[in-house]
Amino acid sequence: MNPMIHIVDDDQSFRTAVGRLLSASGYRVTLYGSGEELLARVHELVPGCCVLLDLDMPGLNGLALQDRLSQQAPMLPIVFLSGHADIKASVQAMKAGAEDFIEKPLETGILLEAIARSLQRAATRQDEYDRNHAARTRLASLTPREVEVLRLLVRGTLNKQIAYALGTSERTIKAHRHNLIEKMGARNLAEAVSIAERYGVVAAAEQSSQP
Amino acid sequence: MLLFVTSHSTAVGEAINQDPSPRVLVIYPYDERVAATTVAGEAVRNRLLEATGGKIDLFSEFLDLSRFPEHEHIERMAQFLAIKYADRRPDVVVALGEQSAKFIVDHRASLAGNARIIVAGFNKSTGLQMNLPTDVIGAFTEFNIIKTAEFARRLQPHARKLFVIGGSSEFDRWWLETAKAELAEFSKDYVTTYLEDLTIEEFVAKTAALPSNSIVLALTIFKDRSGRNFIPREAVKQIAATATAPVFGPYSTYIEYGSVGGNVVTFEALGRTVADLAFDAIQGKPITHVQAPHFNVADARQLDRWGMSEKDLPPGTVLMFRQPSFLEQHWLAALLASAVIAVQSIAIILLLVERRRRRTAEVQSRHRLLEVIHLNQSATAGALSASIAHELNQPLGAIRSNAEAASIVLRSACPDLKLIEQILADIQDDDQRAHDIISRMRGLLKKRAEIEWQEFDLNDLTATAIKILKGEAVRRGIEVSSTHASDALPVRADKVHVQQVILNIAINAMDAMGKAGREKKLMLETRLTKDANAELSISDSGDGIPDGKLAAIFEPFYTTKASGTGLGLSIARTIVETYGGRILASNARDGGAVFRVIFPLAKAETT
Repeated sequence: MNPMIHIVDDDQSFRTAVGRLLSASGYRVTLYGSGEELLARVHELVPGCCVLLDLDMPGLNGLALQDRLSQQAPMLPIVFLSGHADIKASVQAMKAGAEDFIEKPLETGILLEAIARSLQRAATRQDEYDRNHAARTRLASLTPREVEVLRLLVRGTLNKQIAYALGTSERTIKAHRHNLIEKMGARNLAEAVSIAERYGVVAAAEQSSQP
Repeated sequence: MLLFVTSHSTAVGEAINQDPSPRVLVIYPYDERVAATTVAGEAVRNRLLEATGGKIDLFSEFLDLSRFPEHEHIERMAQFLAIKYADRRPDVVVALGEQSAKFIVDHRASLAGNARIIVAGFNKSTGLQMNLPTDVIGAFTEFNIIKTAEFARRLQPHARKLFVIGGSSEFDRWWLETAKAELAEFSKDYVTTYLEDLTIEEFVAKTAALPSNSIVLALTIFKDRSGRNFIPREAVKQIAATATAPVFGPYSTYIEYGSVGGNVVTFEALGRTVADLAFDAIQGKPITHVQAPHFNVADARQLDRWGMSEKDLPPGTVLMFRQPSFLEQHWLAALLASAVIAVQSIAIILLLVERRRRRTAEVQSRHRLLEVIHLNQSATAGALSASIAHELNQPLGAIRSNAEAASIVLRSACPDLKLIEQILADIQDDDQRAHDIISRMRGLLKKRAEIEWQEFDLNDLTATAIKILKGEAVRRGIEVSSTHASDALPVRADKVHVQQVILNIAINAMDAMGKAGREKKLMLETRLTKDANAELSISDSGDGIPDGKLAAIFEPFYTTKASGTGLGLSIARTIVETYGGRILASNARDGGAVFRVIFPLAKAETT
């Protein structure tokens, strides 16, 4: 299915024209006359879409809308459109995570390129997010005992030593180790340790275990 | 006779009476009513009294010879006078007129033994014919009719007929003969008629039927054909009263009696000449014959009567009875009036000059105002340029996108022509929108060389101003709202200027909301006031006007902004006042400033 582009501009004629251009270029398009309209339908925004946002709008302006969207739909790629080269506003927009900042009147090539790039980047980000999300979910499924074992394993502690430290048998430790590798979707212990390090679970776990 | 001889012999060589009061006897030929002689006699008397300081004895004798020409009468008069002056012999005898001269010459021995004798009032040739003794000195008058005729010709250049009037007395006849001889040459240019041997009635009747192109020369009429005696001027008076052509005469005495004028010896002049001779004689100086001066004299009233021009008079003519002109009669009043008029004129000129200067100054100041307003317009356009460019980018961007979309659609397998049609319609609309924006921009920059008065609806103008401001307001995050009166608010002024007022106040308001953290609102509201004025109020949600500065904000160069010129509101007020309006500033109760611009409603033109 073609990506959906959400166009927010208070100028009806302008948004219609841009909408026509994008739909002729193969995108699906939804038009909004104001930021408020978009917010009202924010739940309909699904990954894989892009927002074209006019910077200067009466009521909720572009930057304010970006702020609201970052809370309600953080992964949404936003391309700003602006009638004048307002450096201050563009810097603020980019800092707040905008994908691009295009000046009106729009160069069709630049616009399409910007949309394509932002969709691409959004997709990559989405993948990564998905992966991270999965890893975090798996990490979260570990029991406290398994987290303790994992923390010690990351430090290179031997099963025996762990068993001694935790006051249990080496066999029990091995069972924990097997379970946690499996829960984390790792192929072996090295991969599990790597995941644990990347997501900071170890440190977090270590901190939380500190008195 | 013995007496005569004795007195004559003793008189010879004897010096003139050394008595401090010399005696002068003036002999008049006629009675005291003949002006020629009496005027001359009076002149002699006055002149002598004046010259001697009153130390003179003057005597007058009237021979009355026109009425009593008989020889017996003359002899009786001679005897009478000889006795009368026996004890008071005159030192000088002045004989006026030919008859007096003859009388004194004939009777000088009995009457005025060794007196000096001066005769006057006739011409020299007459004197020669009379065989005057050599010691009788004359003040001769040459009654030259030709000079009077020439005088008449100048005044009547188109005259073709000449009439000469003379009486029937001996003198009259002599005069006529003399005149005929003198006028022989002159009369060739005219159909000449001598009116003689007529009764006074006939004279009057004939002269009352003359063609107007006639010159009438009146000599003397001492007697008419019927033998009636006249004083000549009285006869001339009768004739001239009904004459149908101008009458001229060689005597100054005719002047007041209907004669236009002539070449005359004035009898005053003759009298003075005689008196001078007499005075010299009294003092023992040698005296000789003299000629009494002639003058051309004219009566201004007669010139008027015959429609003659003063300009035609020979140079040096004495013009008598000239009606003093208005100026001469009322010179003081005229002078005062002229002075008043002059002062008024000067005042008026000064006022006009002043008015002109003021108008020039007004025009200059208006031009300067227009310049300043235009600078202000340019500044506003500059301030709004970013948002105007943005605004212009909207339709331009839309046009471009629509065109690109259309070209992509057209390249597809089966183009959606309905969509293409819709796109083209939208492109046209956007083009119109861009055009409108540019028009507004142009209106914003429009320079006025003169105020362009036009009637417009304040509601419409406010709407236009809001369109211009909207982009800027959006850019600054300001919400613009407006309400307008339900009825039209016709105002007469220059639209461009009033729009500038709205923009100045609104931009000022937007600047005032720059820092305020709260909601930014700009409200424009038009309404019809109770006293039938058009009012536009512009309110903002800024901090309001600082206390005590309400009066100062309209002053030039008052500003609270780092980059402000402080001219916007000052110019706004000047513009509003130029069009008879008012501008008021106040603070709203819930914060923010309110500016109210009030214009008088344009008079509805009822047709």
